[in-house]
Amino acid sequence: MTRRGVLAGLMMLPAAFVGYRAPGASRPRPEVNLTISTDGDLLAFKPVELTCPTAALVHLTFIHTGKYISQDHDWVLTLPDEANAVDQAALRAGEAAGYVAPRGDKRVLAATRMCGKGEQVRIDFIAPAPGEYPFICTYPGHAAFMHGVLHVTAS
Amino acid sequence: MIVIRKTVIGLLGSFVLVWAQSALAAEPKSPQDVHMALRILASVYADMQSKLPNQLDRIPHENQEFHEGSAAMRDAMANEPADYKTKVLAALDQAVAASQAVSDTSASHDTVKVMAALEQLAASMHSLNELFPEAIRAEPGSVPAPVHGGPPPSQ
Repeated sequence: MTRRGVLAGLMMLPAAFVGYRAPGASRPRPEVNLTISTDGDLLAFKPVELTCPTAALVHLTFIHTGKYISQDHDWVLTLPDEANAVDQAALRAGEAAGYVAPRGDKRVLAATRMCGKGEQVRIDFIAPAPGEYPFICTYPGHAAFMHGVLHVTAS
Repeated sequence: MIVIRKTVIGLLGSFVLVWAQSALAAEPKSPQDVHMALRILASVYADMQSKLPNQLDRIPHENQEFHEGSAAMRDAMANEPADYKTKVLAALDQAVAASQAVSDTSASHDTVKVMAALEQLAASMHSLNELFPEAIRAEPGSVPAPVHGGPPPSQ
């Protein structure tokens, strides 16, 4: 092999690693920014549907866009079919606990703190397995109006 | 001849009615703001309604929200002609007073009395809505009251 051939081969070497992943190495985690707000002073989320890929690092911003009514809202993501139970748990927790489900409740996948009008908060969480996950506001009586779905896709 | 006269009188009467209705329901300068204000009040009304029959103790809280929500209508009326503004604010004050009456009645824990007071509130809100064109109204009942304690409708 000529010296020129060896040099060309060395120059091509990095290209051979492009797209190569060592066995067992994980793909870089995708990151997703989601934003959800209240529908002004109405008892509703806007939008009512969110989407993200499974295992993504989700940066979720929740904005309380209310202007007139002094009501608190939060955003709580629950396991499928557990939204009502989580809502009831928050109600039982009472005003002293801020009407949020007890810390460590396995049915709660992610939750913001309660926000007053004009406030905004960001939380980060890892998107669960693919599926449909309900989200609610756990302030008493709000979940019946304030609810939506996070669609977690396979990729 | 009599038939023709009756028809003409009937037609004239219809015109007068239509004219009177359109004069009564004047077009506001900020229709979106008015619509939002009416939606806020309808939303609070639905929340108040959802507290029947087992959560009457929460009604004063909803009444406070009704008072706060009424500020949205006062703001929406800011640039209206004085006579129109006076008419709307008088109707709004009646609705606020009716909301206060629901709250006061809730202390009795008499569901029948509270329901009657709620009907009065709905009637006063209807009178308020009638001051605006149909396209921007949000009548009480336009936001459905959920069955409290039941699961969010989407699940």
